[in-house]
Amino acid sequence: MSSDFVTLEGKSRGYRTAVVVLGVLAFSGLIAFIISYIMGHQMFGSSNVIPWGMPIVLLPYLIGLSAGSLILSSLTYVLGREEYKPIARMAVFLAIVLIFGAMLSIAIDLGRPEKFWRLFMFFYMNNMKSMFAINGVLYGGYFVISLLYLGIIFANKPSVTKIMGTLAVCWAVLVHMGTGAIWGFVAAREAWFSPVRPLEFLAAALASGVALLIVVMVLTLALSDRELKKEVVTSLGRLLTVFIIILLVLIVVDKLTHLYSPHREAAIYMLAGHYSWIFWCLQIGMVAVIPLAILFNPRLNKTILWVVLAAASVVIGVFFERYYLVIPGAAYPQQYYPGKIEGVWGALGSFNFAPTEIVLSIGIFALLALIFILGLKYMELLPARKPTKTVTEEPTEEAVEGAGEELAEENKEAPGPKEGSVATSEG
Amino acid sequence: MARWGMVIDLDKCTGCQSCSVACKAENNVPHGSPEEHIKRTAPFWHKVIAVSNGKYPALSINLIPMPCMHCDDAPCVTVCPAKATYRREDGIVIQNFRRCIGCKYCIVACPYGVRSFNYKEPDEEEYHRPDLPPNRADRGFWPFPHRVHGVVEKCTFCFHRIDQAIREGKKVGTEVLPACAEACPAHAISFGDLDDPDSNVSQLLASRQWIRLREEMGTSPKVFYLPR
Repeated sequence: MSSDFVTLEGKSRGYRTAVVVLGVLAFSGLIAFIISYIMGHQMFGSSNVIPWGMPIVLLPYLIGLSAGSLILSSLTYVLGREEYKPIARMAVFLAIVLIFGAMLSIAIDLGRPEKFWRLFMFFYMNNMKSMFAINGVLYGGYFVISLLYLGIIFANKPSVTKIMGTLAVCWAVLVHMGTGAIWGFVAAREAWFSPVRPLEFLAAALASGVALLIVVMVLTLALSDRELKKEVVTSLGRLLTVFIIILLVLIVVDKLTHLYSPHREAAIYMLAGHYSWIFWCLQIGMVAVIPLAILFNPRLNKTILWVVLAAASVVIGVFFERYYLVIPGAAYPQQYYPGKIEGVWGALGSFNFAPTEIVLSIGIFALLALIFILGLKYMELLPARKPTKTVTEEPTEEAVEGAGEELAEENKEAPGPKEGSVATSEG
Repeated sequence: MARWGMVIDLDKCTGCQSCSVACKAENNVPHGSPEEHIKRTAPFWHKVIAVSNGKYPALSINLIPMPCMHCDDAPCVTVCPAKATYRREDGIVIQNFRRCIGCKYCIVACPYGVRSFNYKEPDEEEYHRPDLPPNRADRGFWPFPHRVHGVVEKCTFCFHRIDQAIREGKKVGTEVLPACAEACPAHAISFGDLDDPDSNVSQLLASRQWIRLREEMGTSPKVFYLPR
């Protein structure tokens, strides 16, 4: 069955341009990392109030996309849904690339990145009560399991694939709930502390994973002139609707539990503070309102274009959900003593976007997109064209167009600063 | 084994910040520029916060000196993935800079905001005072000899003074004190063994009503405050 999948030709000018542009962006990210390593984290926007910045925003976001798309691949390999088969390999590969990106983001956010290996000295040099150490086990295991999973898919052993797929999916669920627990178990930060957090993260992972997969699938298949069944897209759209509703319910429950308890100042700050427009417009608007309006519209949810737009909105919105949790979520000052703490010790935390940090984040996305399109070229991930088409058509140009577009989509996951690179790869 | 604790008499505290200055001097904590202070990237091992209640003229100000609380159940120790933060047998929560990977999880988890990250390469690389006699044994053993950027640091209850006093057979709490307690002109800060019923801290705690900060976090801090 492996003959169903082919590599991307990747010899056209568009593909090469994309590789060069991404390579340059990734290299500038490397330069930014070296600067931050030499100069220290003063080059970032973080402070002792908001200790975690953009790299830690990328961590749950990339993990979520990874876990989501791995879970989606199980539709084919575990549940045996043949209609999703064309995208299944791509989904697993995407998951591996994204988990790599997530681990890279953690390493970059460490003050001493050269001591990264200490996170992987399980039980020996690690304090296993720490959610970071537990997640070290989960992420490391997840990376290995996904690699084995992809290897077994390539080896084409359906029975082993099913077992491995089940394991990988269960592990992906654990990985994402563990990531949520990093925030949910911190009692000191009222806006984060919540037993719902791991489940909310899981729901966000599923929603953003399905959404990313819809976008990637449609762009790759449609633009490289491969067969695309409308029913596949619309059924994934229905799945996305379910996940968005679950996510919305969990967000509401989370906010209500915070508002109901007497310690509600931080929750009110999150809902009505000076950063709350991110929550209402970018998170709720792009994750729930826009996509649900599209997906519940009986006319629009049958068209591929609108479903893809809804999915893209979710992919971007979930980024801002993570952003809003990690950065403004830590900004509310802690109440060390009853009363109003005067001066700088009781001030709201502020976060400045440092150029180094933005270049670094763009660099991570560019590196992931680069690995992804190189993977398309060197591994049999794309579904083969229909035999008639393969014979009659020149495959290279369209395939490359597809890769370029997809790459643009990869870049679109990030906020504002990404726009430049999107334009570049489209142009 | 002793269980070191601190009692701060808020009735005596005048908010003169001598304790903060003495801490900076004793442990050679980098000073930081005003901009860094506003941006909250300057390291502080000890701080004094002013808390206001009410409106003028019915206004009260509480001045709270805040060293590390050295919690018995410290959230920072729980969350540290690399065993860099640990609780010594005498209850002092300490940071091993050699192990610290700089993930900042402890800064996030600390309910008292007493932890600082080294955001830049510090000018003062030594943890001891170079202008004092260079007897390293007397200055105590520092797990990481030089300050580097990218690790988290915090108050140590001046463990080097305590260890030295125990080696030399001096009495901790009367003869030898942490720098902040020693520097306090109003004698508001007392230090001693909480498990010893005859120590001055135990006597103080028995004599007056005391509070600890953020009891709702369940961290059981070892810094006690005698309210005004």
